[in-house]
Formats: sequence, structure tokens, C-alpha cells
Amino acid sequence: MSEYSGNEAVIMKNVCKDFKVLNRHEGLKGSIKDLFSRDYKTVSAVRDVTLTVNRGEIIGYLGPNGAGKSTTIKMMTGVLEPTSGELLVNGKVPYKNRTENCENIGVVFGQRSQLWWSLPLIESFKLLRDLYMVPEKDYEGMIELYRSLVDIEPILHKPVREMSLGQRTLSDILAAFLHNPAIVFLDEPTIGLDVSMKAKIRELILGLNKEKNTTVILTTHDMGDVDALCRRIVIIDKGTKIYDNDIEHLKNYFGSYRTLKLKRSDDTWEEYLIDEKTTDVMDVIMEKQKSMKIKDVKIDEISTEEVIKKIYEGSAK
Amino acid sequence: MHKRGLAFYARIYRKILIQDLKSKMSYRADFIISTFGMIMTNLSGFITFMILFHNFPTINGWDYYHMLFLYGFSLVALTPVQCFFDNNWNLRFMVQSGDFIKYCFRPVNVFFYFISEVFDVKGLGQLAFGIGTIVYAWIKIGIPVTVIIIAKLLVFLLTASLFMIALMNFAAATCFWIKGSGYVMVIMFRFKDFAKYPSSIFEGIFKIIFTFIIPIAFIAYYPSLVILEPSNVPLLSWISPLYGILFVYLSYRFWMLGVRKYDFTGS
Ligand SMILES: Nc1ncnc2c1ncn2[C@@H]1O[C@H](COP(=O)(O)OP(=O)(O)O)[C@@H](O)[C@H]1O
Ligand SMILES: [Mg+2]
Repeated sequence: MSEYSGNEAVIMKNVCKDFKVLNRHEGLKGSIKDLFSRDYKTVSAVRDVTLTVNRGEIIGYLGPNGAGKSTTIKMMTGVLEPTSGELLVNGKVPYKNRTENCENIGVVFGQRSQLWWSLPLIESFKLLRDLYMVPEKDYEGMIELYRSLVDIEPILHKPVREMSLGQRTLSDILAAFLHNPAIVFLDEPTIGLDVSMKAKIRELILGLNKEKNTTVILTTHDMGDVDALCRRIVIIDKGTKIYDNDIEHLKNYFGSYRTLKLKRSDDTWEEYLIDEKTTDVMDVIMEKQKSMKIKDVKIDEISTEEVIKKIYEGSAK
Repeated sequence: MHKRGLAFYARIYRKILIQDLKSKMSYRADFIISTFGMIMTNLSGFITFMILFHNFPTINGWDYYHMLFLYGFSLVALTPVQCFFDNNWNLRFMVQSGDFIKYCFRPVNVFFYFISEVFDVKGLGQLAFGIGTIVYAWIKIGIPVTVIIIAKLLVFLLTASLFMIALMNFAAATCFWIKGSGYVMVIMFRFKDFAKYPSSIFEGIFKIIFTFIIPIAFIAYYPSLVILEPSNVPLLSWISPLYGILFVYLSYRFWMLGVRKYDFTGS
């Protein structure tokens, strides 16, 4: 492809990925049967996706479960070959240059540690330094940067297997950035973490992106992650790209939507999503007042969560 | 892109090994118990062998000490697969759960990276037992001690070790294609028990199978003939080093082909 100018971290052009799924049989006999079976069905995980990610961007790659997010990342990391279409990562075809591609990327799959299970984190770091052939000076610099962004002392000498999920995820993210890669892929990194760990991790990612201009491709179901990190979001559903633009643009698009919150007599809140173009907020409040006692009223802008939900619903129609 | 040659891989392996041993020793109770278990396993294997063969003066012209030599030879030859390639046993679990993908994100050879993760200390006990048995049988048979013979012994021990490594690579890699690959591994691993017997007990079709297709006759029998019957070494013994290297290479290619073809199930 000729359009690679050096500024694009990822270029995808009409990329598709189909899986041939074998209808498997049980047991040894079944396994032998499977070897010769032609009993396949095809699953289209990614359909005709075209996408360019520029250097230094943090993009949120969103979509419901099974949309094809992880499959896209697996293609970008070079472990899966696209069925058709063109894919360039750092200007190279990842599947054809897996080891070379791996020098310039970092990958985190949430809840799936890539570190040496029984080694203290610092020893894993040193092994990674050697694997990626990171010069000593750069390595020291990176560790210093880590220290300035997050408190790494409590985990540095702890074996990964003794860490909490949050500490493990934090470690994996630190490990993914250690060789200063051009792109870092984060596939649901904050899944299962508590609020304070999520905040810590967002701050870290933002800091590293700012400091090293690392491109970050993030998939998540947590709109807090999106709000904190991403200016641009790409949404796919059933393998097809259905949205690609700035998050602000998206919010403007749904600008006439309001979240109406009503406080009941028992101090709990009820929420309604209202499109002001079609429905008057006051009418709704009056209507509700007939059937319940309202202690308080709040009107908010639409949240990212609801925007995304709207888009999913729209595509489902 | 960085060049990564043999020296690089040797250095990385050494570093991973040192870290691994350090961490194993820090779990002292584990370490002591597994050491004890390793000694008991080898001891019971040895005693079984003694009871079985002590009263048989010869099998196909082999006397008790020849059999003992073969037994020791196979123990030593099976040490490398046990020590260095033990992670093959975990392969199918990782492939099925999807955890295997992590080995594909590093700028190094996937097979190396996967295999380097586990060093099994238990193999060392086997090595000690094997060496002891060989030395004992050696003395009893009255094989002369010369530099040439010892050099031959080392070369052919190394050769013999290649075959089990290759067999286990093949067996483990089947998990990239089939679900019931656990059976394949267990069957292959059981085959190694035949390695302790002279191949002349195999006849006809079995001889062909265990020589060329599942070459367990090379795990001890053919290579050890070089030491035990120096006046009457079959051609197969002499070509076994080349055949061993070829077989390991093929098993490696098969393993890597599996990685290539595998479609990384699990999200
Ligand atoms: N290795 C595979 N073999 C068969 N089907 C797969 C494989 N990987 C993913 N799929 C299917 O492709 C679709 C997309 O999966 P995935 O990319 O994991 O989605 P997401 O990460 O967005 O949840 C799903 O329908 C999933 O079942
Ligand atoms: Mg996923």
C-alpha cells in the first residue's frame, strides 16, 4: 500500500476475518474424525473494516460482546491473518512480520497476565528488558517515569502470583510500555477492577501517552475509561464499523437528549432518557407527579454510556 | 529490527533458568517435598526393574547387566525432555483456554519462549539415578574406560535424548488440531517404557513402527549398541545422530505449523 506516510500507526482497508468453525466431536475417536471432517460453518468476526489510527492517538474501540474487537486486535498484533483486506501496523504487514511487529507493540489482555507467574515484578521487567534488547539507559528512564506516575514500590518485589487482580493488571500495563513501543493494545484492561484502581490505571495510561506519544488502542465496556482517555471512538457491531468520530461530535449528535432524574420519597433516584425534540421534559415531570411523590429533580446531559447504548440500539434495528 | 542469534537465546535461557530456580527454592517446603517425591519415584522404578529381571539370566542374548545398562541409558536419555521440555504437557490447556496467545506477543521464537518458561528439577534425580546405573553396569560388564568410549557414550546419549524430545513435541502439537490430544501425549509418554528393553524383542511390523515411525528403539537400544556391542554395530546406530536431528527439526516445524494454523479461540 502506498498511502503509508509514516504518521499512521495503523491502516486497515476493507479488512475481513472469517473463522471456520468445526462441529467438533467428543473423545479420541471424535478427535480423529474431526481431522478429516468437512463439517464447517463460517463465522464472520470482522467485516470490511476500514480504519486509520494516527500516532499518539488514544482511541476507544467499542462494541457489544462478540462484536469483533478482540479479533481486530489479534490481527493487528500479527497472531491472526486477515481473511481479506489490507492491514499495516507501523507500516508493515503484521502477520508476515510477527517478531518484528512485536518489537514495536505492547499488548494487554485484561485478566490474562503475560508475566512470569512466580517471579517478582522487577525480575520480569529485567527479563523483558533483555528480550526486547532495551538499552540500560532507556530502561532506567522508563522505571523513573513509572515511579513518577504511580506508586510502584509495593508491587515491585512481589511475585505476580501473589498479587491482587488490580496489581496484576497494573503490572501488565507497565510491562506493555516498558520497551517504549509505538502502539499499545489494551483489551478490556479495567475489567473487574475497583474504582480506585481504575482511576490509577487511567491516570497512568494518560501519563504514558502524553510523555511517550504512544498510540493506544483501547477496548472497554466501561464508559468511565472512555470519558477519561479517549477523544475519538470507533464502534463496531457484528463485525461492521458503525461509528468513527470524536466523542464530542457524538455527544452533539445526541445533544437534544437529556437524562431526567427524579428523587422518590424513599430517597432513591429514577432515571429517564428524553429527547427534547420530541418530548417536553416538563410534561414528563407532571405526568410522573400524578403517580408518585417527587422530592427532587435533576436534569443532566446524556452520558457516554447512554450515547453508546443508543448507537447499539440504532444498529440493531 | 534487532538480530537475535543463538548467543541471545542462550543468554535469555540462562537468565530465565536462574530466576526460576531462585523462586522455586524460595518455596522451600514445595522444593523439599518434590525432591523427596522424585527420589521415591526413581527408587521404585529401579526396584521394580531389579525384581523383574534379576532372575532372568538372559533375554535374547542380553544378560542382566546389559539390561541394567540399557535401563540407565534410557533414564539419562530421557532427562533432557523431562527437564527442558516439560511445558509441552501444559500446551493443550493453554491452547484450549486461550492463554497460549501470550507467547505470541514477544519478539522472539514462540517455541523457545514457550519451552523456556518451565524447567523441571525432577529430571535431575532421574539423571543421577541413570548415571549411577550406567556406571555400575559398566563396571560389572567390564567395558574398558577410554576417552574414545566415553566420548561415544556422550554423543550417543545426546542422540538418544533427541528422539523423546521430538516425540513429545509431535504429541503436544496435535492439540492445535484436535481436542483429545491428551490421549496422544499419554500414549507417547507410555511408549518410552519400551525403550528400556532390547529392540530385538520387537518383531516384524512392530520393529518397523518402533524404528522409523515412532522411533523409540532409538531412545536407548540402537545408540547403546555402540557401547555394548562395539564389534557388531548396525548401520542404524551410526546414522541415529543424523536421524535424531532431523526428527527434532521436523517436530519443531510441526509445532510451529500448529501455532500458525491455530485460530486463537477464547477472547
Ligand atoms: N478463534 C475463533 N474461532 C471461531 N470463532 C471465533 C474465534 N474468535 C472469535 N470468534 C467469534 O467471532 C466473533 C467476535 O469475537 P471477538 O473478536 O472475541 O469479540 P469481542 O472481543 O468484540 O467481544 C464472536 O462471534 C466470536 O464467537
Ligand atoms: Mg473481546
